[in-house]
Amino acid sequence: MDTLETATTSVPDKLNTTAHMSFDRVRSSVVGPAVAGEGGFAHYSMESRFRDEMFHGDGTLRPAAQQLGTAFNNATSEQLMQLHDGVRRQFLHEGITFTVIGKKEVTEQIIPIDCVPRVLTDSEWDHIDQGLRQRLHALNLFLKDIYHEGWSLRDGIVPHELVLGCPQYRMEMLDTKVPHDIYVSVCGTDIVRTHDGFSVLEDNLRVPSGVSYMLACRAAIKQAMPRLYRAHNVREVLPYPGQLYSQLASLATWTQRPRIAVLTPGRYSSAYYEHAFLAGEMGAELVEGRDMVVHDGLVYMRTVSGLKRVDVIYRRVNDEFLDPVTFRSDSLLGVPGLFHAYRMGNVIIANAPGTGVADDKALYAYVPKLIRYFLSEEPILSNVETYLCRTTEGLTYTLENLDRLVVKEVGGSGGYGMLVGPHASAKEKRDFSKRLRSDPANFISQPTLALSRAPCFVGGKIVPRHVDVRPFVLRGRKETWVAPGGLCRVALRQGSLVVNSSQGGGCKDLWIINENERSA
Amino acid sequence: MLSRAAGDFYWMGRYFERAEHTARLLDRHLAHLVDRPVDVLAHGWRILYAALGQPPPISPTETGNAEAFLVPDAFALAAHLIEDTENHDSIIQSWTKARENAKQLRPWLPVRVWTCLNDGFLWLQNCNFTEYWGQGPNRLPAGVVDRLRHLSGVIKARMSRDNAWRFFELGRFVERLQLQTALLQAWSCPSNKKSQIWAGLLHVCAAYEAYCRTYSMMIQPEQALAFLIANPEIPYSLSFSIRSVQLLLSGIDPAGGRHPRRAPHRHALRLAAAIETNSQASADEADTRDFLEDFAEDCRTLHDRIIAEYIHYSLEQGLPS
Repeated sequence: MDTLETATTSVPDKLNTTAHMSFDRVRSSVVGPAVAGEGGFAHYSMESRFRDEMFHGDGTLRPAAQQLGTAFNNATSEQLMQLHDGVRRQFLHEGITFTVIGKKEVTEQIIPIDCVPRVLTDSEWDHIDQGLRQRLHALNLFLKDIYHEGWSLRDGIVPHELVLGCPQYRMEMLDTKVPHDIYVSVCGTDIVRTHDGFSVLEDNLRVPSGVSYMLACRAAIKQAMPRLYRAHNVREVLPYPGQLYSQLASLATWTQRPRIAVLTPGRYSSAYYEHAFLAGEMGAELVEGRDMVVHDGLVYMRTVSGLKRVDVIYRRVNDEFLDPVTFRSDSLLGVPGLFHAYRMGNVIIANAPGTGVADDKALYAYVPKLIRYFLSEEPILSNVETYLCRTTEGLTYTLENLDRLVVKEVGGSGGYGMLVGPHASAKEKRDFSKRLRSDPANFISQPTLALSRAPCFVGGKIVPRHVDVRPFVLRGRKETWVAPGGLCRVALRQGSLVVNSSQGGGCKDLWIINENERSA
Repeated sequence: MLSRAAGDFYWMGRYFERAEHTARLLDRHLAHLVDRPVDVLAHGWRILYAALGQPPPISPTETGNAEAFLVPDAFALAAHLIEDTENHDSIIQSWTKARENAKQLRPWLPVRVWTCLNDGFLWLQNCNFTEYWGQGPNRLPAGVVDRLRHLSGVIKARMSRDNAWRFFELGRFVERLQLQTALLQAWSCPSNKKSQIWAGLLHVCAAYEAYCRTYSMMIQPEQALAFLIANPEIPYSLSFSIRSVQLLLSGIDPAGGRHPRRAPHRHALRLAAAIETNSQASADEADTRDFLEDFAEDCRTLHDRIIAEYIHYSLEQGLPS
C-alpha cells in the first residue's frame, strides 16, 4: 500500500528515538495525536486494567512496536482507510470466507481482517513455543494412556468419570494401535495474555481450524505493506502447508509417496474455505465421504481413472460422522468401513478418533497435573483458573459469583452456549443458573479475564480491542513443529471479549520479530 | 483426478458456456432494438427463447402493437435472462452455479482463475441493470461476454493441460453442442426465411465473415445452416465442437484414445460421423430438421455416458485390476 509505505519511509532512521519522542508527550489516559492532523492514535484510549500489546501503560510504544506504531501514527486517516480497504478487498476477491449456518439460511461471510499487525518478540514466542510442545507431548501420552493401560485414571490424576463419561471418549479406540502413538498431529491452542502473562484458554485437538486465515492475513498484509514487513524481519509462517504435508506423510511408513486426502464435510461446512485451501497448498485431494470406498480393508478414492488407494486422511469431519458402520449410522459424511481399515493399520487418520476427550473443557483443568504426571516437568504455560461445576464446591462458587465469571459448556465451541457474567443481563443469568443446576456436569466456569488489547482499525480510527492468539502445532513421526505465528483473533465489538468469527470477531496478522535483528 | 472434482470442472464448463451463449444472443439481439421492425424483433425474442429452451415470462410484443411497448418488453425480457435469480438459466444463475462448482475446486484452480471468476461474479451481482440499460440495452450482455472471454483467457494462460482443464473444456463443448443444436433447430423453422435473421445467427456464431468469404453476402438459409453444422473451422459449429470433444476424450482416456476406446469416446466418434454423413447427403430442409432432432438426442446421451464412465461408476468397475 503505497501511501502508508510512503508514510513509513518518511520516518527518520533513528526510529526508536523519534517514536518515543512522539508518544512521550502523552502522559494522560489518552494517547493523543503525536503528529498533527487526523489519523494515527488520536482516538486510542488506554485502560490500566488491560495490558496493551503496543503501548506501555504510560502511553509510550513498546520497543518491539516502535517502528510499526510510528508508521501508523504518522499515517493520515485516508491512508489508513486505503490500507484497510486494500487488505479487505484482497479477502473479498479471493473469497476468504466462513459459512454461518443460521436457522433459515446459510450465508457466506468474509472474515473481517484488521490491518494493524500485532507484534510479539521472539523471546516471548519461544516461551509459547516451548509450552505448546510440552503440552502436546503430555496430551498425546495421556490419550495413549486412557485408551490402553489407564494409569492416569488408576493413579487418580484425572477422575474416571470425567474421562469415561466424556461424550468425546470413544470406546472403539480402546486398545487400538495408533501409528507411532501420535493421536494428535494437528493442534490449535488458544492463548490469551493478561498482566500476569500468557495462559492457555483451551486446546483444540479434534479439527482445529483457522490456519488458512492466518496464512491469508499474512499474504494480505505482506502485499499491503511490503517495506514495513521487510523491515521487521518477521518470522515466516508460510511453510505451514509444506510442514503439514511432511508431518502427515511421515506417519505412513508403508510407502515412499503416500497419497494424502483432506476429508471435508462439504461446501456447507463453516471452514470449507480452509479445507480447500489446505488441500490445494499441500497438493492433496480434497475428498468428501462419498468420494471414498473401503474394499478389503483398504481405503480408495474414486478418480476418473478408477479407484486409487488413500494412505493418509487429514480429516476435518468430527469423530461421530467418520464412519456410519462404527459411529453414527445416519452419517452421510463418512466412509463405511473406514474405522475398520484404520484399526487394521491400512490408513492414517489425523487426528485420531477420540482425541476430543483431551480438549474437553472440564479436562482442561487437569492438564497441568497431566504434564507433571507424564513428563515430570512443571507446565511452562499456565492454565486459566477453572471451576468444575460437576463438583459441589465448583457449582456453589459459580452460582454465587455468576456476575464475575465466564461460564462455558464443556463441549461447546465457537463462542456459543457461554455466559459472560459481567456483560449478561439479570434474565440471562437467571436462565443460566437454571441450566447450571439442572446439568452441572456440563459446565465449567472461569474468571472473566482482562484479555490484552491491541490497536485495531475500526470505524475509520484506531481503537483498542481485545485479542487472543491460536498458534498451530504439528506432530509427525519424528518431530514437532510450531508455526512461528498464529491466528490472532480480535473481538471487534467494543468491550467484547468474544473473539470467534461467528460472534463478531475478526483476525489480524501476528508478527514474531527479533528485536535485535530488525533492519532499519 | 478425483471423479467428483472432474464432475465439478465439467459442470463449471457447462455453466460458463451457458452464460456466454445467452449473453452472446442477447448482445446481438439488443444491439438492434433501435433499427429493426417490431415484428422482426418480436419474432427474434420468440426464437431466442426457443433456442434457450425456455418459455418467455411475458408474451413478446405481437405484430401491430404500438412501438411504445417494445422497449419495455425488451427491458423485462432482458432482465429475465440476465439478472433474474428465479430463472434457473439466467446469466446470473449460470454464473452463480459455475462459482459454486469453482468453490469446490479451489485446490485445483489457480488463484488467478478463481479471483477472476469471483470478481466477475461480484461485478455482475452488484451491477445495476437499469443503469446499464440506460447506457445502451446491450451494454450489460456485451460486458458479460467480455468478462467471460477474459476469464477464458486467464484459464488458458494459467491452467496446465491436465484432466482438470480437459473436463472443464469437455463441459464447455458438450454444452456448446447442445445449445448450438437447439439454436439451429429454433432458427431452421419454416417461417424463418429472412436473410437478415440468418445473418444475425451467423454473427452470433462468429461465422458471418467466414461465410461471406466462402459464399457471398447474400445469405442462403440452407447454406448458412449447413455451414454452421459442418464447417470444422468455425468455433461455434457442431463439427468444430464434436472434434474438440473427441480430442479432449482422447486425452482423458488412459489409453490416449487408442483402442479399445471408452463409451463416451465411441459415441463422440459416431456423432462426428453423423455430421459428415449429413453434410455429404443432399438433404432437404425436413431432413436437416430430423438430423438436428436426432443429434440433440445423441448429445444428451453423450453427456450421460461421460457421467457414467468417469463420474458415477460402480465399485466393481473402478477397482484396480
